[in-house]
Amino acid sequence: MSDLRLMWRNTRMVVLCAISAALYAAVLVPFKVVPLIPGVTELRPANAIPIVCSFLFGPAAAWGSAIGNMIGDFFGGVSPGDIFGFFANLAYGWIPYKVWELIGRGQSPISRSPLGILKYAIACLAASVLCADLVGWADNVLVIRPFAMLGNVIIFNNMVSALVLSPFILAAVYPRVKKGRMLYADVMPEVKLKPVGIRACGFALLIAGEGGAWIFGNLLSTGYWEPKFLPAWMIVAPYDKPVAIIAGPFLLLAFAGLLMM
Amino acid sequence: MPIYLYIDRGTFVHRLHPTVKVFALFVMFWSVYWVDNPIALLIPIGVLMLWVAQLTDSWPNFYRLRWLFAILVFTTTIAWMVFYRRGAVLVNVPIFHVSRLSLVFGVGRGIKLAELLAASVLFLSTTKIEEFTYGLQRMRVPYRVGFAISLSFRLVPLFIDSAVTIVDAQRLRGYDFNQGGPIERVRRYVPVVIPVFMGALRKANNMAMALEARGFGFSHEPTTFIEYQVTPADIAAFAFLIGLGALYFMLYWTGLGGIGPLK
Repeated sequence: MSDLRLMWRNTRMVVLCAISAALYAAVLVPFKVVPLIPGVTELRPANAIPIVCSFLFGPAAAWGSAIGNMIGDFFGGVSPGDIFGFFANLAYGWIPYKVWELIGRGQSPISRSPLGILKYAIACLAASVLCADLVGWADNVLVIRPFAMLGNVIIFNNMVSALVLSPFILAAVYPRVKKGRMLYADVMPEVKLKPVGIRACGFALLIAGEGGAWIFGNLLSTGYWEPKFLPAWMIVAPYDKPVAIIAGPFLLLAFAGLLMM
Repeated sequence: MPIYLYIDRGTFVHRLHPTVKVFALFVMFWSVYWVDNPIALLIPIGVLMLWVAQLTDSWPNFYRLRWLFAILVFTTTIAWMVFYRRGAVLVNVPIFHVSRLSLVFGVGRGIKLAELLAASVLFLSTTKIEEFTYGLQRMRVPYRVGFAISLSFRLVPLFIDSAVTIVDAQRLRGYDFNQGGPIERVRRYVPVVIPVFMGALRKANNMAMALEARGFGFSHEPTTFIEYQVTPADIAAFAFLIGLGALYFMLYWTGLGGIGPLK
C-alpha cells in the first residue's frame, strides 16, 4: 500500500503514471476491435497496456490504469459504477507486479520457461478476476447490469489481451526500459518489500476472496443459488441484495489480502 | 472517434464555475440512480438534459454517439429480460422472460444508462480539461493527482496521433489489421502498440526533468493563472441542482419512481 502513496512524491513516477494512463486511453478509445456485448464491452487490445505497465512501472501503472480507464469511460459514458471501475482498474494495474514480486522470485517477466509462463498467467489471472469481480459486483449492486454478464466478460477480455498481446509488447519493451533504468525498482528504490510470509498470506487471501466473489456472484446473479438464510423479499431479481451481502465480504477479503502484499 | 468533445460556445452553462459542473455531474448520477420508472427517468431529468443540449449546442456530439445510445438501450433491455425473471409471462420465448415488468425494468435501465452517457457528453461538451482538474482540486483531490489526470488527458491525442500514423504506415506496407479471427485481430495490433509505447517512454524522462525545472513538487498548493469567481448564477445553479437531487430522492422515497407493486 505504501508504494501507491509514496509514488506521488516522485516526479518521474507521476509522469509515468500519466503516460500509462494516456497510453491506456489512447489505445482504448480508437481501437475498439470486436464487440463482445454491443454497447457494453468489446475485445480491447488496450487491456494489455496496464499489464505491461504494471511489470514496468509498478504503482505508477496502477494509478495510470485507473485514470486511463476513467478517461476511456468519459468517451463511452460514465455511471456511478465507474467509481468502482476506477478502483477495479487500480487493482488490475497493481496486482500483476505485486504477485510477480512474490512468485517471480527475481525472475524476469519475459522469461519463456514453462514455469515462467505459468507464473505470468497466474499474475494476470489474479488481476483480471479481481477487476471483473469488483465491476460486476458494483454494477449488480447498483442494478445497472447483472454480475454474470460483466463479471465473466471482463475476465475473458482481460486475459485475451494479457496472454495474446502483453507478452509480445513486454518482450520488446522490458529490456529497453530496464537498460534505461526506468523500472519502478530503479525509480523508487526506497520502497521496501514486506516479509515473504505476510505477502504469501496476502496472496492466499486474495485468491480465496476473489475466487469466492466470482463463484457466488455468478450463482446468485443468475438465480441458480437462492440462500435460504436470507429473507424471501431479498431473494428476487435483480438479486442486488444477495450479491451485495454474500459476494461483498469476499471482495473485502481479497482487498485485505492485496493490502498485505 | 473524437477525443475532445468540448464545444466552445460561451453559454450560461459553459460559464458556470468548474466545481458546480462537477457537482452537476454528481447530481445527474444521484438523481438517475434512485428511480427505475422510465417516465420518471424521462421527466423532468431527460427533458432537462435535452434542454441543456440545445442550450449548449451539444448536438454534434450526441449525433456522433447516436449508435452508442441506441445499442446501449437495446442491449440493456434485452439483457435484463434474461436476468430479471419477474412478473407474468406475456410471450413464451426461450431464455428470455418477456413480461410487462421485465420490459419496463429493462427499458428503464436502458434509459438510465443512456442518461448517464448523456450527462457525461454534456459535461465534456461544456467543460475544458483545466476546468475539470480545477474542479477536482477544489473538491480536495491532491494537486499531483489532478496534475496526472490533466496531463493524461493532454497526452491522449498525441498518442492517438502517433498510433494512427503507425497504423497508416503499416497499412501502406500491406499489413491487414482485419485479417483472421478475433484473437488474431487483437494480436495484429502488436506492431502498433510497441512503437507508440517506446515513443511515449522517450518523452517521460524529458518531461520529468522539465517539470522539476519548473518547480513541480515544490508546493502542495501551487498558484495558477486561472481563477474562477463564484457568481450569482453559480449559486442559483447549485440551489437548483440540490432541489433536483432532493426531488429524485423523494420520488424514490414515496415509491413514485418505482415500476409497480412488485418493486
